[in-house]
Amino acid sequence: MLRLPYFASRVVGAAVRSPRRAAVGALVAAAVVLGAAACDAGATAQDTAIGNGSSFVTGNYGTTVFRSGARPKAPDVEGTTLTGSKFKLSTDRGSVVVMNFWGSWCTPCREEAPALGTLARNFAGTDVRFVGVDIRDDPASAEAFMRTFRIGYPSVNDPNDLVALDFSGTVPPASIPTTLVIDRSGRIAARIVGQASYSGLKALIKQVKAEQE
Amino acid sequence: MTWLRNPPEAKPDAQAAEAAGLDTTLASDGRATTAEGLRHAAADIQDAAAEGLRHAAADVQDATPEGHRDAAATPHPAGLSLGVVGWLRWGWRQLTSMRTALVLLFLLAAGSVPGSLLPQEGTNPASVAQYYSSHPVLARVLGDLGLFNVFGAPWFAAIYILLFTSLVGCVLPRTLRLVGSARQPPPRAPGNLSRLPFAVSYATPLAPEAALESAAKALSGKRFRLRTGPGWVSAEKGYLREVGNLLFHMALLGLLVSIGLGGLFGYKADRLLVTGTSFANTVTALDEFHPGRLVGPDNLQPFTVALDRFSASYVTSGTLVGQPAAFNAKIRYSASPGDAMHSYDLAVNHPLIVDGARVFLIGHGYAPEFRITDGTGRVVFDGAVPFVPVETTGLVSEGAIKVPDANPKGLGFVGVFLPSAIDVGGKLESYFPAPNNPMVSLVSYAGNLGMNSGPSQSVYSLDTAGLHELAVSPKPLAIGQSVKLPNGLGTLTYTGYRQWISLAITYDPGQSAALWSGIAVLAGLLLSFMVRRRRVFVRASTDETGNTIVDLGGLTRSDAAGGFEDEFAGLATEISGLHQASIDASPSPDPGLEAADRTDREGSGPSSHQGSGPSSPDQSDPPDPEQSAGE
Repeated sequence: MLRLPYFASRVVGAAVRSPRRAAVGALVAAAVVLGAAACDAGATAQDTAIGNGSSFVTGNYGTTVFRSGARPKAPDVEGTTLTGSKFKLSTDRGSVVVMNFWGSWCTPCREEAPALGTLARNFAGTDVRFVGVDIRDDPASAEAFMRTFRIGYPSVNDPNDLVALDFSGTVPPASIPTTLVIDRSGRIAARIVGQASYSGLKALIKQVKAEQE
Repeated sequence: MTWLRNPPEAKPDAQAAEAAGLDTTLASDGRATTAEGLRHAAADIQDAAAEGLRHAAADVQDATPEGHRDAAATPHPAGLSLGVVGWLRWGWRQLTSMRTALVLLFLLAAGSVPGSLLPQEGTNPASVAQYYSSHPVLARVLGDLGLFNVFGAPWFAAIYILLFTSLVGCVLPRTLRLVGSARQPPPRAPGNLSRLPFAVSYATPLAPEAALESAAKALSGKRFRLRTGPGWVSAEKGYLREVGNLLFHMALLGLLVSIGLGGLFGYKADRLLVTGTSFANTVTALDEFHPGRLVGPDNLQPFTVALDRFSASYVTSGTLVGQPAAFNAKIRYSASPGDAMHSYDLAVNHPLIVDGARVFLIGHGYAPEFRITDGTGRVVFDGAVPFVPVETTGLVSEGAIKVPDANPKGLGFVGVFLPSAIDVGGKLESYFPAPNNPMVSLVSYAGNLGMNSGPSQSVYSLDTAGLHELAVSPKPLAIGQSVKLPNGLGTLTYTGYRQWISLAITYDPGQSAALWSGIAVLAGLLLSFMVRRRRVFVRASTDETGNTIVDLGGLTRSDAAGGFEDEFAGLATEISGLHQASIDASPSPDPGLEAADRTDREGSGPSSHQGSGPSSPDQSDPPDPEQSAGE
């Protein structure tokens, strides 16, 4: 229900401007002030969740593609879907899995939803599985979202961020939305941070689908 | 450097110059810590600017360190023949000068100004987007200059990296010099001790060698560092001052490094947490995330925090009524997925420390709960919505509920939550922060919430551009009450409320190092202020009549506390006692008189040198090798 995720803008291997430099700048400024012996710390004011309601960082999204030898293994996440059935990633082993982290409150998620819904329908009947991970959402809103965008694939309800946490050691979802393409052997082949495009995601899926296990 | 510049006034003997050199060497070593030192440093900057070029130019001509001073004397077409090494040397001297550091510090401050005047991408991207749409041309220019992301702009990074380099380049060589200074033996005794600020002279029946030996023993017993020569003993004490100086400089470097460490590997984050829910420390679960330069989403400590209960107590009477008395959050946490959950009482200034990260309780508020059904009869929203307090006496809070997926039309509500609602002349207010009569008052909208494209919105406010207000009675709702929306758009029910807390998560791996460095900086500073370096010289010789004459001289610097006079008198009494003599003259604060008394007998030094203090040293005197090592 708390709809203020941070949208990390850094992309692996890409030099993009990043808000994290702000903190460094402030810290170095503090160091310098101390170093100049005119000691007056206090350069880093703290934002509070209350103080700043809009923490979205738009733009600077990017795709990371992992070569087949360098793919991190996806954790065997499990959970309960919004409709109450059990989900376990390893049961889809042998299929290409497209895992989308989303929330019904998140504008870029709503923007990319039609593309995801269409792709899921286009790949229906093949060995490509789509699964969503619904983050910081109430199930009623999530189900309404799925009706609006005609999302046919299941979504794991993750109110405690445990699915996201399972990925923290490998390729964590760096923002909402994040889309992972997991190959047939259960390794992460690609990550899209931010809004996925229809053509971009389709090309990635086809590429991974064309690989032999 | 410092004393080479002084014009030679006269020619005192070498030892006197050396003893006097104490002042200049100590002054230049301690310049970072004293006001006097700052003046010295300022002089050095002037000097470095003027001489640096000449020196560097000369270095190209003659690479030996000795040679460049001679070469510098001859005018040289600088710049043309400077060469790469020369320019680099010159550049480095400029960069590490204090003037450059001050200029860079000023630039850093000036460069931060646009960061507070203009909206910044890192903290407020929505305002940046707004600025772009309202001032398209100007915004593009400002954006190209990096003024919407000042702290990430290359020019800003250039300033602070140069400043850091400048400081390290200044402090590091000085630290090395201080090591040399702390190991330095005392200088040779000056020839004429009577010219020193503290001096006594007396005759003794002992032979000169025996007298010196017993004096040395006495001084050594007082933990003086000794140096002996033919007919003299030099003793020095107070090297702890140099140790303090050294400690100060090294701790300053440590402080810079540890703060840099925190900036690179640390992070700050915020998270709002409603009672009965939990979150994990992963980027997607955080409201705000300000990572250090080298922190990635995979570097966060994988802990989980669940909030079971939050209680706030308030002052119920007196003038402070309504003020918070205590906050307590009952939480459970686990350090990593799969670990056991531990209970913890989180309170203000009682953070949870897990895996090196600190979790602070920094705020609280109310989250009213709503259930909304749309026109088709489906439940399209069912949950708690955090409202933000807008005042403290009654904790009146505001928030927004967004239901973009309601049918046939999207629904939106803006509302006020009143913990202790009371009707004051037709106007609803909250008289107390505790939930004595929790009510909500809502304004309802229908239409397009604008959430399917465009810039992301704040969850606490509603963009009413595509919405129209619904004609609904403004009557406030009590728990369990509903409002039926017109035209069959749906129903909203106020089902209850929860409390929320806001948490600040900080991780700073350099924190304890910075603390200890800070303490060491202070300790070193105190030591270098409180300990003074003082020197005692003893000379014993036989005069024409065959008597042994013992001269004692003492010297100290910045004896603000005035303790050295007594210390010297005590030493003089002790040594003369050992020499079976009584002091015929008490230690004189005016050595000029003593010097006048003695010039005839010793025949050294013209009377024009009866200054009360040490005279300026002269570069033509062969200095003590160790002494000349420091600039």
